[in-house]
Amino acid sequence: MKVDQLIDLFREEFPRSSSELKHTWAVFWANFKIFLSYRTWVITETLSTVASIAMYFFMGLQVDANRFISAGYGDVTWLAFAIVGVSTANYLWMCISRISHSLQHEVSEGTLEPIVSSMIKLRSYIIGQSIRGFIVSSYFMVGTMLIGILVLKAPLIVTVETLLSFIVILVMMIVSYAGIGIMAAGIILVYKKGDPMTFLLASITEFLGGVLFPLNYLQSYPILYGLAWVMPYTYALDAARRVLLTGATLASPLVLYNFAVLVLFTLVFMPIGLRTFKWGMDRIRREGTVATY
Amino acid sequence: MEYAVETFQLTKTFESKEKGQKRVVRAVDQVDIKVKKGEFFGLLGPNGAGKTTLIKILCTIILPDQGTAKINGYDILKQPYEARNSFGWFHGETGGRSLYWRLNAEDNLRFYAYLQNVPKDIAEKRIKALLEFFDLSEDRKKLVKEYSTGMKVRVMLARALLHNPPILFMDEPTIGLDTISAVDTRKLLQALNTQLGKTIIFTSHNMFEVEQLCDRVAIMRKGKIIADSSPSQLREMLRDIRAVEVEVKESSDLQKIAEKLANTPAVKKILDTTNNAHTHIIRLQVENEYEAIPEIAEKIKSLGIKVSAIRQSEPSFEDIFVKLARGEEQP
Amino acid sequence: MDHGKIVELMSAETPRKKLPTYQVVISFIIRDFLIWWTYKFWLTLDISGNILFVATYYLFSLITSPQQIHEAGYVTGGYFTFALIGIAFQQYVFFAVQSINQSVREEQVNGTMETVLSSATDFKVFLLGETCFFFIICSAFLFISFFVGYLLGATFTLSLESLLSVIVLSALLIASHMAIGVLSAGVIMKTKQGNPLTWVFSWLTQLVSGVFYPLKLLPWYLEWIGKLFPLTYSLDGIRLCLQGGQSLASPAVMNNVINLLIFTVAATPIAVYVFKLGYDAARRDGSLGQY
Ligand SMILES: Nc1ncnc2c1ncn2[C@@H]1O[C@H](COP(=O)(O)OP(=O)(O)O)[C@@H](O)[C@H]1O
Ligand SMILES: [Mg+2]
Repeated sequence: MKVDQLIDLFREEFPRSSSELKHTWAVFWANFKIFLSYRTWVITETLSTVASIAMYFFMGLQVDANRFISAGYGDVTWLAFAIVGVSTANYLWMCISRISHSLQHEVSEGTLEPIVSSMIKLRSYIIGQSIRGFIVSSYFMVGTMLIGILVLKAPLIVTVETLLSFIVILVMMIVSYAGIGIMAAGIILVYKKGDPMTFLLASITEFLGGVLFPLNYLQSYPILYGLAWVMPYTYALDAARRVLLTGATLASPLVLYNFAVLVLFTLVFMPIGLRTFKWGMDRIRREGTVATY
Repeated sequence: MEYAVETFQLTKTFESKEKGQKRVVRAVDQVDIKVKKGEFFGLLGPNGAGKTTLIKILCTIILPDQGTAKINGYDILKQPYEARNSFGWFHGETGGRSLYWRLNAEDNLRFYAYLQNVPKDIAEKRIKALLEFFDLSEDRKKLVKEYSTGMKVRVMLARALLHNPPILFMDEPTIGLDTISAVDTRKLLQALNTQLGKTIIFTSHNMFEVEQLCDRVAIMRKGKIIADSSPSQLREMLRDIRAVEVEVKESSDLQKIAEKLANTPAVKKILDTTNNAHTHIIRLQVENEYEAIPEIAEKIKSLGIKVSAIRQSEPSFEDIFVKLARGEEQP
Repeated sequence: MDHGKIVELMSAETPRKKLPTYQVVISFIIRDFLIWWTYKFWLTLDISGNILFVATYYLFSLITSPQQIHEAGYVTGGYFTFALIGIAFQQYVFFAVQSINQSVREEQVNGTMETVLSSATDFKVFLLGETCFFFIICSAFLFISFFVGYLLGATFTLSLESLLSVIVLSALLIASHMAIGVLSAGVIMKTKQGNPLTWVFSWLTQLVSGVFYPLKLLPWYLEWIGKLFPLTYSLDGIRLCLQGGQSLASPAVMNNVINLLIFTVAATPIAVYVFKLGYDAARRDGSLGQY
């Protein structure tokens, strides 16, 4: 192609209207495509998920039903209890860590600089990245549940009502943690490493949230028990279990109560998260470390 | 007259820690430049002069400590989105980073077209044309990680042009390119400037490239703009520091030999001499190296000095800085 | 300093004796340790993660019945003691397979491997140094796990014989997994990718070696696969000693020892050979220092 031909093409004028929706879509689409290029990762991750579910099945064979009944979800197997716990915990952890992980990657690869100097608003960027995270994580969560229900015959109650309630709770759980996730992302922008932090957060959440054991067994340690109910995840998990194990819906008072607490957490953490992120972004723009190649 | 780029006392200081010691660098120091619309503006300076930092501030990637700038009339601090609408940015020093290596060239460009609000049909047309121009059509479906550095740099060039901005920040655009692509790129930039009236801010540490392309040249050193001139003035300056190098075989009495050679009419004066275990070089300032070289050769012959080479000497930034400093002293 | 002095320094003849292997290995360990120490933050996290993990299984044990464990011959302590032993010793598998791979990859990416290998070090020594460090770290974690477990009420049958037997079994556990680690490092040198097989290996080990449940709960095919993994024999032997009061003198424990010995003796030469193949291939492609 000759220079002149190219120049002619650039004479064409067009209206450039900014659309946040399109920007969000672009971020999602590009990052999803990048994700799909990590094929071996997807395969090994899938296999290890399958292996871990199988492990919970065998662990469940040792549970004494008389001791487990105090969990308060009625006459249900430990396996069903654990599958709801494990799948929601992994979902949460994946959603949150994906955002900060890809942000860290964008800084070290230098791809954040062209984004910052382009027309996209940062919130569109974050939303696009998050949607990618949700979809990737959903794959693993739905997979875990399906294996649990179909292969291992875990008695989860799946009706239209419980499914819808579960999805709403799940979304609210992510939203209530989004503030924390965005905050972590802001801190990672500045300090360039923060995966350990999210890692610790995840282990604590999993432990205190009662993923593998009923929380009433934590009551002998009042401090830990108190801490458990300071985390949004504990409420989300309780609501999710009430829905999928006992067939409650959002209309049930206990589920609704948990839901309301999640809304409250969102209202507190979201502004803090957004402010921290803006602080991080401004700080790296001042330090000149938007890229660290 | 409205300017395409106008800076007001822009200043940026970096603090970094090196082995526990604090190092403070004033990368951009009270820079005031005005670039007219449609101008091809060159920013010349050695590595570390602060060119990239200045450009990144203008691109709203780095926040200045003091001062501000206007891009196409929009303030970079108060109206960053309007400012971003007006420019395209290319950064050659990244050597092909800053692309998504796990996407192909087309997808990289598509992503950026979306972010820059280019309508889909127009984007597709331009992506196709730009890839063809930069000789990437055949590899457009390959992942960028399989590209050579030169190919990556060309994708980045295409990305900067995609949304057809009125102002182009070209930070060392020819740095990672082979000679042929570099020539093509220069041609394209010139055509964009003359035929479409784009304002181009071009940074380089190659004096000849800048002299050849730009309407106006600013020279930067340690964060400061120390000269702002036309290329003809630059050419003048370059001519003033034209020099010839004589590599002598024996090291004894290098200074004496230099003095003898300086007696030749074509030689203005001795610039410097280098004398160590392996190299013995005399640099002589001359009016015109093509006339001077034969004369100097003649002189060497008559004096019976053994030399291994006589050649034209590339002017260095130091020479220019010395020259500029002297110019300031004698108004 | 001018170059004359440097030339002088360099020209002074120093006798360059070959250092004894153990000194080279120790210098590798010290180097790795120094690098690792700079990640103190990670260290704290790793330890906290470890403690949380043990605590999780303590609370889980409260809803289990010890019946199956007792039937398997592990009579002292309940499910918690059983799981604690599994958790503490399975770390060797993760470390052997993943950390060695990771450090080989890192050295390759950073280009430090070229330096190390060009410094007149036999590659077997290089490997030994790399792996030793991780086993030291791992043993430290093992003690932390046991300490936390002890505080939470794990009970063991301790006698001199059973302790000695555990040491023998641990040594064999380490030796057999070192071989596996070395083997996968060799594969990585050639493929230059984080080897997904290592992940699968770690997960499969966890699934079939009886870390969290006695093997007889598994269906026959998984139980049979479990017999291919050295961790299965190690855990069974160690549990028989610490929870069953047995020692090397008992045939069940001895049987495990023999199986581990066979595995190690068979796997080590294969591993070293594969590593050498990978190493030579990387040198041929001139890709020791790239990714
Ligand atoms: N993020 C940063 N932190 C600390 N120092 C920096 C940073 N970016 C640039 N510098 C320093 O600022 C000076 C100017 O750099 P730069 O603008 O890249 O120069 P140029 O592009 O002219 O080569 C250099 O001394 C460089 O080391
Ligand atoms: Mg630069």
